[in-house]
Amino acid sequence: MPDILVVATAPLGTLSRSSLELVAGAHAIRGPLGLGVTGLLLGTGPGLATAPQALHEHGVARVLRVDHPLLTVGESDAYLRALEQVARRENPEIILVSADTMGRDLAVRLAWRLGAALVTECSDLASADGAVVASRQVYGGRAVATLAVTRRPAVLSLKPRSLDAPAPDPVAGSVEDLSVELQQGELSSRVREVLREQSDVGLEDAQVVIGGGRGMGGPEGFAQLGELASVLGGAVGASRPPADSGWVPLTWQVGQTGKTIRPALYMAVGISGATQHVAGVSGSRLIVAINRDAEAPIFSVAHLGIVADYKEIVPALVAKIREMRGQ
Amino acid sequence: MNVVVCLKQVVDPELPAKDFAMDPGTQRQVREGRPLVISTYDENALEVALQLKDASGAGVKVLTLGAQAAVGDAIRLALAMGADEAVVVDDALAPERAGAEKARMLAAAIRRMGSVDLILTGCESADWVERVVAPLLAEDLGVACVTFVSRIESRDGAPVVRRMVEDGHHLVEVRLPAVLSITSDESNRPRLPKVKDIMAAKRKPVQTWAPADLVLTATSDPASGVEVRQVVVPERTSRCEFLTGEPPELVEALVQRLRDQKLL
Amino acid sequence: MSVLPSDEHRMIQSTVREFATRELLPIAADLDQNCRFPREALTRAADLGLMGMTVPEEYGGAGMDMMAYVLAQEELARACAGFQAIVGVNNSLVCEPILRWGSEEQKRRYLPDLAAGRRLGCYCLTEPTSGSDAMSLRTSAVHRDGQWHLSGTKIFVTSGAEADLCLVYARSEREPGARGISAFLVEKSFPGISVGKAEKKLGIRCTSTTEIVLDDCRVPEENLLGERGQGGRIALATLDGGRISVAAQAVGIARACLEEAAAYAQQRQQFGRPIGEFQAVRWTLADAATRLEAARLLTHRAADLRQRGLPCAREAAMAKVFASETAMWTAHKAVQIFGGYGYTQDYPLERYFRDAKITEIYEGTSEIQRLVIARNLLARS
Repeated sequence: MPDILVVATAPLGTLSRSSLELVAGAHAIRGPLGLGVTGLLLGTGPGLATAPQALHEHGVARVLRVDHPLLTVGESDAYLRALEQVARRENPEIILVSADTMGRDLAVRLAWRLGAALVTECSDLASADGAVVASRQVYGGRAVATLAVTRRPAVLSLKPRSLDAPAPDPVAGSVEDLSVELQQGELSSRVREVLREQSDVGLEDAQVVIGGGRGMGGPEGFAQLGELASVLGGAVGASRPPADSGWVPLTWQVGQTGKTIRPALYMAVGISGATQHVAGVSGSRLIVAINRDAEAPIFSVAHLGIVADYKEIVPALVAKIREMRGQ
Repeated sequence: MNVVVCLKQVVDPELPAKDFAMDPGTQRQVREGRPLVISTYDENALEVALQLKDASGAGVKVLTLGAQAAVGDAIRLALAMGADEAVVVDDALAPERAGAEKARMLAAAIRRMGSVDLILTGCESADWVERVVAPLLAEDLGVACVTFVSRIESRDGAPVVRRMVEDGHHLVEVRLPAVLSITSDESNRPRLPKVKDIMAAKRKPVQTWAPADLVLTATSDPASGVEVRQVVVPERTSRCEFLTGEPPELVEALVQRLRDQKLL
Repeated sequence: MSVLPSDEHRMIQSTVREFATRELLPIAADLDQNCRFPREALTRAADLGLMGMTVPEEYGGAGMDMMAYVLAQEELARACAGFQAIVGVNNSLVCEPILRWGSEEQKRRYLPDLAAGRRLGCYCLTEPTSGSDAMSLRTSAVHRDGQWHLSGTKIFVTSGAEADLCLVYARSEREPGARGISAFLVEKSFPGISVGKAEKKLGIRCTSTTEIVLDDCRVPEENLLGERGQGGRIALATLDGGRISVAAQAVGIARACLEEAAAYAQQRQQFGRPIGEFQAVRWTLADAATRLEAARLLTHRAADLRQRGLPCAREAAMAKVFASETAMWTAHKAVQIFGGYGYTQDYPLERYFRDAKITEIYEGTSEIQRLVIARNLLARS
């Protein structure tokens, strides 16, 4: 059966959440398009042994696995070459790649090499009359474009955290180990060092995120946000200006370019809400905005608005919560 | 070292919501009467290129696709900031073209420029946000590619770049020539042009090419078979509930709401 | 006169606006509250070319025309009136006279340094007994032993403490009034010049306003600016340009007040609605906007005339008196719109209010401006 190929990764041994989101996307379109779903796991190391299981548990019976020592963290060029080789052998109709930092350029470069049609940064997948229909946010999230892909093969990259993980659907599965030809000397780029930034609660997994913007005025304001995040059991994020100014690490940036998040509670403090930031947080269940400017665009996406100086609200809020908890 | 920076002029992404409108004919944003700026991250890319020029005398060319009349300001600003010369591919249809089409034209223009060591673009455009141009340029030109680069660091002579990832960054050694897409960082905040350079920019060379002057690659066309069915601005009903009162009352009301939502 | 700025003007204006937003807005309140001299910001302004805006490129300046100059000054003043005052003095009251009246040698000696921010200029005209009646000044200049000896006290010198180069007016001839005055370029390093008392001021508090004391200050012959006895003319011609700069400053302050008040009126709710919906507030904002537009146009007109080398004393005086009174009026109304909050230091309105006042006083009080206008008007008829 012609196939949808889902490109999955398992850093640290467990199948990544974004890989599962791809599986959900594949399941959404397989039926109407009359296609099967094959999972492709790429990487290296013992973690790859158990990862196929997670794919089997979510309805993906056929799993291909490529385990090669050059497929280490961030090695885009190696991944690209491996992927290209597998794709040429398997000839899938549709290839789904996660639009995370690795997948972003992988998907594009792969499409070129295969002569495939390409849609990037999709936030939703559907089908209509035999065509794959993808939605994507444009203009900083102000509009949604719907694109139909009528040509095969087609490569689509999915924005992480756009789709929900699929429901469990255990199937009896198989794992096929594939070999690929990779030479270190052929790679056009090589990772020299991997530097992780510390974070207590992962921003993308946090149920509560407190975001600070230009209105914080400097890095000191973020300390207050840190306290609030702490009493609520959440993480601190930021819009682009504080990250650009070096007030906070770049990895705290939330938005179209930074991380897309969907916490239960997102508080936007001193964030104007212009364009791309909103695109990264609009899926949050409850958005509370605190800003001195009643005209700030953030209020058009927030559920609750407080027009005030954050300095008058945040410390009092922290104190009130502590008081309620008898601390 | 020869550096080319690809610049795109877009409608100011910080436009107030009331000025944002879609043109149903082109399925693109209405540009008429709206302020145009250099796409956000393209400015960071230009800054990175200019820092290379400051440090090691690299030559910096800027390249843009668009109607000659429309892109004048962007080019002028780039030249005022310090770019040496500009090339404009005079293409009035540029705003409506898919990213992949534009990448193909840009690649053709770069091939026409002669020897180039580094091609810099913004990591994403502020409007259509496909993030395809840099990787497609690299494939079309047959060179290396690293995306989401925040800065260029040289380590023992070999070009090493810092690439931003979800939980930190990677230092990546890249073979030249290469395409790098640039993301913003405190190290690449776009400089302000000196006043005298704003005036001197008029005297720097600007070449204008027609799209017909370009020899496009025939091999791959990722945009073919992809059709924009519609672009919809979702109805934004003002659903924000504003809490009122003095700060102590606001805090009380907020706490109550959080409790109602079982977040406390 | 074209009322629309050219592409170049727009680009310069937006560059200076960006500079002011990045470098001045974040520090303006602190500069005012702590009377701190904005040294780092001035260095960056110099890098951009803002310290010698109308100085030709051959002398290291930015080579801007007067229209670009007033556009830039308005942007600086909108962010921080005190900063703009320092820049305005350096440009209009020191660079300009050297450019117009200096010898080639003097231009080469001083303009590049002033434009690059390596030297800061100040203007020494006013004395304890001669303010509006500037031409009655008493500081003496005696030519003896192949050099000039200056003695006297100058007061209210902007940037007096930090400046390296002082344009000093002194009486060198027997004649009373303007004809007896000569202008001198006095470096702080010359023997006999010192900085005296520093004033504590109502506004523009990031600037120093000091006495400059000349006690047998020895000034080389080659530092006479222009001819002997020409100082009065130099002072008056220089003030025309200075007035245009102060008018632009006032326009910037008025604009700051209007922008803040308009934003606040849309946000502040009383009696169930934004106060911007009440007619009293609306009319006030409309008047403020109209006056601001008029002040700006008068300023641009004066700048345009000066650029063309046409007489502009009347228009410069009109611009200065109208713009400064507009700034005061707008600041007053803006504080009122903010109500109690406008009175606190949490909001910039009280600073704008305090800053605005000086524009009605220095570089010729409003009374003097009216004299100039009337004289001009009646002489013509």
